[in-house]
Amino acid sequence: MLYFLAALLATLLHAALVFAFAPLLLGGITKLRARLLGRRGPPLLQPYRLLTRLLRKTTLQPETTTHLYPVWSFAAFAALATSALLVPSFCTGLLTANLSDFITLIGLLALARAATLLAGLESGFGFGGAAAAREALFSVFAEAALLVILISFVLIAHAPTVDSIAEAFRTGHIGISVSLGFALAAILAVALTEAGRIPADNPAGHLELAMVHEAMLLEYSGRYLLLFEYAAMLRLLVWMNLIGTVFFPFGMARAGDLLSWPGGLLLWAIKLTAMATALALFEVSTAKMRVFRVPEFLGVAMLLGVLSGVFLFVASRVGG
Amino acid sequence: MFGLPGQGMHLRIDALSALFLCILAPQTLAAAIAGMRGSVTFWAFILGMVLALLAADAFTLIFGFELMSAASWLLVLQGDRKPATLYAGIAMFSAACLIPAVFLPASSIAFLLVLLGTGAKAGLAPLHAWLPRAHPAPPAGVSAVMSGGMVKVALYILIRYGFMVFGAAAQPWWGALLIVAGAASVLIGALRSMLETEMKTALACSTIEHVGLIAVGLGIALRAKAMGDPALAALALQGALLCAIAHGLFKPMLFLGAGAIKQATGTTSLDWLGGLMRGMPRLGALMLLAAGGMAALPLGPGFAPEFLLLHAVIAAANTGGILARIGFTALLAGLGLATALTLGAAVRLIGIGFLGRPRTLHAAAAEDAEPATLAAIALLAACCIPVSLLPGLIVFALVPVIGLLVPGADPAPLAYAPLSLAVILLIVTALAFLALRKFGTRGTREVAAWNGGFGRPPVWLPFGDPTTQPTASGFAEPIHRAIGRFMLATGGADPSEAYLLLPIIRLHSRLTRLAEHIRRTTIRERLAFVFAALVMFLLALGLGQGG
Repeated sequence: MLYFLAALLATLLHAALVFAFAPLLLGGITKLRARLLGRRGPPLLQPYRLLTRLLRKTTLQPETTTHLYPVWSFAAFAALATSALLVPSFCTGLLTANLSDFITLIGLLALARAATLLAGLESGFGFGGAAAAREALFSVFAEAALLVILISFVLIAHAPTVDSIAEAFRTGHIGISVSLGFALAAILAVALTEAGRIPADNPAGHLELAMVHEAMLLEYSGRYLLLFEYAAMLRLLVWMNLIGTVFFPFGMARAGDLLSWPGGLLLWAIKLTAMATALALFEVSTAKMRVFRVPEFLGVAMLLGVLSGVFLFVASRVGG
Repeated sequence: MFGLPGQGMHLRIDALSALFLCILAPQTLAAAIAGMRGSVTFWAFILGMVLALLAADAFTLIFGFELMSAASWLLVLQGDRKPATLYAGIAMFSAACLIPAVFLPASSIAFLLVLLGTGAKAGLAPLHAWLPRAHPAPPAGVSAVMSGGMVKVALYILIRYGFMVFGAAAQPWWGALLIVAGAASVLIGALRSMLETEMKTALACSTIEHVGLIAVGLGIALRAKAMGDPALAALALQGALLCAIAHGLFKPMLFLGAGAIKQATGTTSLDWLGGLMRGMPRLGALMLLAAGGMAALPLGPGFAPEFLLLHAVIAAANTGGILARIGFTALLAGLGLATALTLGAAVRLIGIGFLGRPRTLHAAAAEDAEPATLAAIALLAACCIPVSLLPGLIVFALVPVIGLLVPGADPAPLAYAPLSLAVILLIVTALAFLALRKFGTRGTREVAAWNGGFGRPPVWLPFGDPTTQPTASGFAEPIHRAIGRFMLATGGADPSEAYLLLPIIRLHSRLTRLAEHIRRTTIRERLAFVFAALVMFLLALGLGQGG
């Protein structure tokens, strides 16, 4: 009973933190990136201002849309918000731990992607359709790479949920494994593409022809655009939480142990800061790729995923 | 009364045939409601499938299977002559493999023949080229049952022989062969369903993909059973059978919907549709649900089977030699590729066909489908609810079937809990909705689309210039460029057509020319031939005697 209460409290705290700080993370990355480029950059709280501004605006719905126009924004937001609740942040053992199967998570991300693609096709104008076609192309390779990486996680941890993988990686003596190194490189490539960051898509771009994620939302405004924007912020945080939880679970708190929470929270903040810094550094040092280079980029990720599996099989053959 | 003289016809129902009868029942009912109930051929087709499922002796099985083939050939012929010929050829090939196989003792040859015979009927690669041509030809109700039911009857025979009749002689490589064929079908089916612009053809290609998924599951189960791993076999079978159930619900929905679109607009080519959600809101909503099932999205009927199959592949990667393990890793990559491709195909179906602006006047003037068709699709949608939200119950109901196929297996309960997921999704959506209502500005104003600043179209084009919106082929173009070029033959043709069907056709015409050449010989040449044959014969006789 006491354990359940603690887990409930941890889940609520997790939800509150994730939903409150997702915009701050994006603001931090934008600021850092601008600083690295020698500019002052927008204020740290700019994403919050964006959201409140969108909340105040009247929603303009294009005449050529159907009555499903609002549905896509709610679907994309709900799918990403649910995945944000499933991926642990500062502690393991949340109430949603049993639901956090990796394949369910991939399914939720696919649901959000489907809603965004349909939003791009909703009004029937060229930019949205072209961006949706590109996103469909990227997703094909990203999903294949992600599933291949999953094989090494599940076979090392002997468990399919994110929560139990983190638990196994923290307690088990796996050490530094070559397989996991390859898997980390591969998942980083997938995360960059899926979150719409630089080698695949430029979040700060202003040219419709070159956009991918943004161009699908060109015909959205007001509160529905707010949902999409918030969902994009959550998506970035979900990917960072996922990578942080699976690859760096050392020192994460346990939901049942209240005393371990402050350490876990501190560690989470450090992990996010480190990843945000790394992302900003990576983004200022790389250029955006051509659209048809991205499949090659993700193909390398897929290959790394397969290599990670192969190393695992060889190791188990040699070791066993 | 019927059957072999002196032996009669034996019918028996067990858990496996009951399961496949349950798969067949809703779609038959729906097709009958949607307008096929007056056709005698349709009922003969259904009778053939039921006989094949209930058969307890090989003769009845073949009789039912051939009745199904013949009746469906007649139904295809009513729609279109050209694919009907191809279909008849494939049906004969399938019969020629299956009839000897069922009378052979359990051996690898017999299994190979069963695999060829049922694989040709189910559309397993590389014998799938006929399916995207023949399935779209007949009326929608028949297409629905052909895609949702007929391929399942073929797979039923494969399961019945692979696991039960030939079960004692099973070898691990039977399963491996099935996995390879399944993986090839998954990839080619998913890719082609993304690239085809004709709606019914794209749906038929997606059927190839789902047959491939079921075959992958069955192959893993067969291999695991032969290697003595009943837990993995049970997991893979759960996935395969659940996939058969789900596919038997959402694919007929999509085919019936395509038929309704054909009736309303006169075409099913995606490039001539668009904006149908306005004129056909009820059909559109039902199609959206079915497309969610096809794309294997969470909370749809297609997700639980996908979940189980992917877990089965991951578990299988932990068994066997190192090459097999690497093969399973590659298989998982292929499945990931195919899943995302199918998602793209489903999005394209809805996004190009139902959203956006109408591309033709017919699409703009479309009215909602007839009540009977809508009722038929809604019936199937209602059957989808337990599969989507309570797959655990269905998996529990599959326990006797799995016990029959893999004796001694103890199937684990499903780890995916869609109800709790649905509750979280609902809470999040409700909170977002309430927060927007409470804190946000409520009004919505209708305006001309921004369209990158191009502004309002002229008055004589109420929906804007139809050529300025993305087309179905345009949406698929990046994928065609990045993947299609490597997986399809030149000109975008199906590899099975280009490398299997065309050479056979070429060989056939060459042989015909040769036969024609012989027929046209003069009397002198014939006499010379007869004389030469006589000399050869005598020579052989003489040599034989002398030696």
